[in-house]
Amino acid sequence: MTMLKSMMLSTALAVTAIPTVGFAQDLTTVNMINPLPRSTVFYPLVVAEALGYFEEEGVEVNLLPSDTSIPYVAFVQNGQADLAMLDATETVNAMLAGANINTVFEVMQNAPESVAVLEGGDYTSMSDLVGTTVGLVSDRDRAFLQAAMSAAGHSIDDVSTVVLGESGPTLASAISTGNVSALVGSINDWAALAAADITLTLVTPEELLASPANTFAMNAEMIEPKREAMEGFFRAWAKGIYVSIDNPDVVAEMLREAVPEEWENEAVGMSLLTGVMTMNISTTPRLGDLQADVWTAIQPRMLTSGAIESMVDVTTFLNDTYIGAANDFDRAEVDAEVSAWRAENM
Amino acid sequence: MAAQDTMTEGLSARSGGLSLRQRRTLLHALIFFTLIGLWEAGARLGLLDPLFYPRPTSILNSFYLIYIKNGNVWFNLYATMSLVIAGWIGGSILGVGLGALVGFNAVVRRFLKPYVIVLEATPRIAVAPLLIAALGFGASSKIAIIVLVCFFAPFINTLSGVVNVNEDKLELFRSLRATKMQVLRKLVLPDAIPVIMAGERLALTAALSGALVAEFIQRDQGMGALILVYTRNLNMASSFACIFTLTILGFLIFKGMEWVDHHIAYWKNEAGMKRIGDRRRRQFGAQVGE
Repeated sequence: MTMLKSMMLSTALAVTAIPTVGFAQDLTTVNMINPLPRSTVFYPLVVAEALGYFEEEGVEVNLLPSDTSIPYVAFVQNGQADLAMLDATETVNAMLAGANINTVFEVMQNAPESVAVLEGGDYTSMSDLVGTTVGLVSDRDRAFLQAAMSAAGHSIDDVSTVVLGESGPTLASAISTGNVSALVGSINDWAALAAADITLTLVTPEELLASPANTFAMNAEMIEPKREAMEGFFRAWAKGIYVSIDNPDVVAEMLREAVPEEWENEAVGMSLLTGVMTMNISTTPRLGDLQADVWTAIQPRMLTSGAIESMVDVTTFLNDTYIGAANDFDRAEVDAEVSAWRAENM
Repeated sequence: MAAQDTMTEGLSARSGGLSLRQRRTLLHALIFFTLIGLWEAGARLGLLDPLFYPRPTSILNSFYLIYIKNGNVWFNLYATMSLVIAGWIGGSILGVGLGALVGFNAVVRRFLKPYVIVLEATPRIAVAPLLIAALGFGASSKIAIIVLVCFFAPFINTLSGVVNVNEDKLELFRSLRATKMQVLRKLVLPDAIPVIMAGERLALTAALSGALVAEFIQRDQGMGALILVYTRNLNMASSFACIFTLTILGFLIFKGMEWVDHHIAYWKNEAGMKRIGDRRRRQFGAQVGE
């Protein structure tokens, strides 16, 4: 047999072997679209993976992190994504556009978005920003600024905005040189700046802090067909949240292993984790529960600010069908698993 | 002759016995290390903001971190290079194939060429999200972006190579009643290959940029995604280490393609002609000897 033939044969054998290996554990893939790759920001995912909770539930997570101009909800509608991480404005606007989606889990119940100014600088409140240029980390932050200006009795038209992108040096330069009066972005953007001794003060109006920020939305028609996989996914995610409540050091160690690029500078990593823990740990008794009253309360503000064109009845899209199953796990068992992980890895 | 020898000896003595090539290399190294030294000194003295220009020693340390200690660059490098190779192969097949088709057939050329030029004029970054929506997330849409980015150079060079065949030579081939296949093999291809190879060289370096664009949009893995994480976290030393890795890769790719070009289109350089000529002479000599 010639070398070419043997190479072709071995390649063919390898290719046919791939599906056998890939499906040996018969895992259901959950495709999830969000703005970031595996990150400290969404640490419950990393924790659940480290402790094997997704596998235990027969699920594997396929992250589709992207920065595309096409709304995430479009990928849920066309079936490329099972879950999309949306903020409140995106959810309501998707409903207004006729998208058949349901919000099924609240990832962050406190808005990770904020309006930040330089500590000790000329600007100390939202009103000070009138007539200035405000830097946005992404165009998605415009709606938040709109709501924040409105809450402070002003309009988005009272400020100029510029999208700076999420590059740390650009943000640092823009705020420290005074090119922008304030930055609008999320907690993970400020963590790196803080570690570089650029201290920011948050001037976000109080009422915007209690706002479902990142929530999981899915195609309403897929709620039942995907029930088993989704219940498993959310249970694993909820376990990830639960682990962090009493074991932030374990979470930090898991993150050092899974996303070393975010932990090369320990101070940045810790600052980021500390900041996002308050966002990721649910404030509701049931982890990830849907807060109908909050969704109802935030809509008039979104309407006034122009972020949405009309209000939507929250019962048409909030669906807590998975929340019970997501919280149905033995806390003591999880504690024991964390202790075992700690003993083995720390 | 004696005077020349004396002069050469004098030059060698003046330069410490170093050859011209060695002296040039030394000079390059001297300039390079002086620049790096100035950069390091500027950063240490606070003249350069470390947020934008991290110290070269910090970058060196980051190379150690990402390649050895954490080792997180390897998988991302592999992911990016797999895309680059796949996209380049796709772009080349499409570019050379279409270029040849359009070049050989005037009718096809008339109707197809405007579309290709319009496609080239369209900013690929703007099309990228649409490609993702159409082809879905994952490698397929990333490769499609790279194919789009890198197919034009092979296309236009192949077209130009095929269309601009030496008219006098073509006349000669015709007068000698050469078949179409003979014209293609003995005239068109030898004339076009150096130009096609130049297109391939550009395509491969463009493929690297295309891969980064794709990874900036779909941030699941690859050097583009890694750079974004580092810059977002203000870890500029590691970001620079990744960027320098890509620079070195791009340089190696370009030089590698030059080497391939040098060996494939050997008739375009004297050394290549001599090498092949010598080999054929030896083969001919061996045949005659038999």
